[in-house]
Amino acid sequence: MTRWMLPAFLAVGVLVTLLLIVGPALYAVSLSFFDLPSLTSDPVWVGLAKYQAVLASAEFWRALWNGIVYAGLAIVLQVVLGIGFALILHQPFRGRALVRGLAFLPYLLPTVIAVLTFKWMVDGSLGIVTILMDEWGLPPIYWFETEQAAMISVILVSVWLWTPFVTTTFLAGLQTVPTQLYEAARVDGAGPIRRFFHITLPVLRPILTVIILLRGVWMFNKFDVIWLTTGGGPVGATEHLPILSYRTAFTLYDIGTGAAIATISFLFLSLAVFLYFRVFPMEDDA
Amino acid sequence: MTPAIRRPAARVGLYFAAFAIALYSAFPIYWMVSSSLRPTQELLLNPSLIPSELTLQYYYSLLAQTDYPRQFLNSLIVAVATVALTMVLSVMIAYGVTRQRIRGKKAIIAGMLYAYMFPPLLLAIPLYAMFTKVGLNDTLFSLVISHLTMTMPLGVWFLWGFFKAMPFELEEAAMVDGCTRLGAFLRVVLPLSVPGLVTVAIFAFLLSWTDYTFALVMIGSDVNKTVPLGLASMIGAFDLRWGDVMAGSTLIALPLFIAFILLSRYFVQGLTAGAVKG
Repeated sequence: MTRWMLPAFLAVGVLVTLLLIVGPALYAVSLSFFDLPSLTSDPVWVGLAKYQAVLASAEFWRALWNGIVYAGLAIVLQVVLGIGFALILHQPFRGRALVRGLAFLPYLLPTVIAVLTFKWMVDGSLGIVTILMDEWGLPPIYWFETEQAAMISVILVSVWLWTPFVTTTFLAGLQTVPTQLYEAARVDGAGPIRRFFHITLPVLRPILTVIILLRGVWMFNKFDVIWLTTGGGPVGATEHLPILSYRTAFTLYDIGTGAAIATISFLFLSLAVFLYFRVFPMEDDA
Repeated sequence: MTPAIRRPAARVGLYFAAFAIALYSAFPIYWMVSSSLRPTQELLLNPSLIPSELTLQYYYSLLAQTDYPRQFLNSLIVAVATVALTMVLSVMIAYGVTRQRIRGKKAIIAGMLYAYMFPPLLLAIPLYAMFTKVGLNDTLFSLVISHLTMTMPLGVWFLWGFFKAMPFELEEAAMVDGCTRLGAFLRVVLPLSVPGLVTVAIFAFLLSWTDYTFALVMIGSDVNKTVPLGLASMIGAFDLRWGDVMAGSTLIALPLFIAFILLSRYFVQGLTAGAVKG
C-alpha cells in the first residue's frame, strides 16, 4: 500500500485528465477536419477546407474584431476601475470592511442573474434606469437595438461582474508593498501620483501582467454574457468567435466549421498561456 | 500600514469615493432583491427607491407554479457532486505530484493551468458528443462530469501550491512513528490542509452553481434544467414576469452571499492565489 499509494494517485489523475480534458479537446480539434451536419451522421474528411472557408468569410473577421474590442475594452475598464477601487479600499476609514465586502459581491453572482438584473434595470418602460433618465430629461438609450449600445451593454455587464477580481487581487498585492518605500519617497518629496507610478505600479506589475494576459484571453473566450445579453446581435454587432462557433455548430448544423472556429480561438489561448510561462517560469522545486 | 488621510477635504473625498464604490457594486443587487419583494402594482407602475410594503407573493408563485424547486434541487445535486469529486481527485493528484519523484511534474502542473483556461465551449461540444454515444446525454451526471473539467484543474493548481509549502518532515516523522503513508496522509496532511480544502470546495461550488454554458449544451429536457438555465429560458417567454425572475435570482444568489459572509477569508484567499477564471 505504502509503495503504491502515490503512483496510484498519479495514475488516477492522468487517466481522468486524459478522459475528461485532453481527449475531448483533441476530438474537438479533429472535428474541424470533417464535414458533419449532426453528431450522429457519418463524418466526411475534408482536410483544411473548413479553415479555408472560415478564413475567407467576412463573418469570421468581424467576429474576431468584435472579440478584440469586447475583451480589450472590458479588461482595460476592469483594470482601471479595479485599481482605483483597491487604492481607495486600502485607505483606513470607518466601514471599510463593509465596503470591501460589498465590492466583492458582483463576483459571486451567476452571469445569468447579472444579465437578467441588467435587462430589468434598463427595461424600455419599467426599468429604473429608464425611468430615472426620463426624469432627468436625458434621451432614452436603446441598449440592445443599436450596434454601439449593444456593445456597450455587454461590456458594462462584464466589467461589473469581474471588476471585483481585479480589486481583490490588487488589494492583496498592495498589502505586500514595503511601507519603507513609500516613506523614503515621501521624504524625497514625491506626491501621491508619483508614488503610485514609481512604487505601487512597478511592484505590482507581475499581478497586472497575469490579469491582463490570462483574463484578457479568458474574456475573449467568454460565451455566456454576450449570448444571454444580445445573442450576438443586433445583426452580428456583438458576435464574437465563441458565439459564431456555437451558432455555426448548433443552429446552422455545421459542426466541422464550428469546431474550426473554436480551434482558432483555442490557438490564441494557447499562445497566451505559452507567454504566461515565458514571463513566469515555474520554479524548479515543483 | 498606510497612514490615515487626515485633511478634512480629503477625508470627505475618501468617504464619497467609498460610497460610490458601494453604490456601484451593490445597487443592482439591492434592486434585484427589492424588486422581488414589491407588490405588483408598485413593481410595474411606480418603482420608488425604497419599497412601501413588502410581499412574498412572487416567491409563492415561483415555488408553487413553476419548475423552480425542481431546478434548484438539480443545481444543488450537481454542485454537491461536483464539489465531492473535485475534492477527491484534486487532493489525490496534487499530493501525488508534490510527493512522488517523477519526471514531468512541471508539465502536469502547467497542463492543469492550461486545462483550467480551456473555453467551456471547446470541451462542451465533444463531451456532449461522447455522452450522446453512450446514452448519457441530457443527464445531471453528464453535467457533473463537464463541471469537473473546470473545477478539477483549479483544485489541483491550488492544492499543489498548498502541499508544496508543507514540509515533508511532518509525514516522515509520522511514518517513523509507525504510520503508513496513507495513515500519515489522512492523519497529518489532510487535517493541516483544511484551509486549502475549504477554498477549493468553495470555488468548485461557485463554478458549478453559476455555470450556464455547459448546462446549455448538455441539458435539453425541462426536468434536468439547473436554475441558471431555467431562469435564462424565462427571458424568451412571451410574458416576462419580472417579479418571479427577480425572486428566482435572489434565491440562487442567497446561498452564495451567506457563504461569503461566513467564509469571506477563503474567498479572498482563493481568488488571489490562483483563481484566474470564474
